[in-house]
Amino acid sequence: MEVSVLFFGVLADVTGTRIRHYNEVRSFGDLRHRISDDFPELFHYNFRIAVNNEIVDSDPVLQPGDEIAFLPPFAGG
Amino acid sequence: MHLIDGPVPASAIAELLAKAGNDAESGAHSLFVGQVRRDEVEGRQVKGIEYSAYEEMVITEADKISKTILSEFNDVRGLEILHSRGLVGAGEISMVVLASAGHRKQAFSACSKAVELIKEKLPIWKKEIFEDESGRWKANEAL
Repeated sequence: MEVSVLFFGVLADVTGTRIRHYNEVRSFGDLRHRISDDFPELFHYNFRIAVNNEIVDSDPVLQPGDEIAFLPPFAGG
Repeated sequence: MHLIDGPVPASAIAELLAKAGNDAESGAHSLFVGQVRRDEVEGRQVKGIEYSAYEEMVITEADKISKTILSEFNDVRGLEILHSRGLVGAGEISMVVLASAGHRKQAFSACSKAVELIKEKLPIWKKEIFEDESGRWKANEAL
């Protein structure tokens, strides 16, 4: 399946991008491995993950077209 | 909830109050205004803050915050949130929260709680920009 991955805040600086599309993703674990290969430094930072605007706690089941966002600690206000 | 490019103009606050006045059953409006502070970090002055947001999620989370506030405070009749995206200079307004209620007590409490929930729940990030144009990502501190 194809999914979109978004990076925000400091993580957009670390990865040098705000969005990347991944094709033929088999699972969240597979996606995580591929992101780790592309941006190994990403995993030195604190973040939470949202799928389609909802924070997820564990490895979510992905659907084609899902939007996965890497969210560093929030800092609004 | 509205995201505004750059600083929130004072006229936007006047518009919120004018709109709130259409609900004549309200007897109290509590207004919080957040302003970018000219902090000094290791001898460098903050010139402004660059805000970025996960906009779709900001809207859905702000809607949840409104529902939480309205269900928790039975005298509260409305909650309005404005937040900047992009660059806001020191001394300029980056956030406005207006809680309207029948009476002052719940208006104060609801406004205070909404500000805390906004800082905790909304996917917004800020980068301090210094006078030499360098930047530093900043996390929220308690109160």
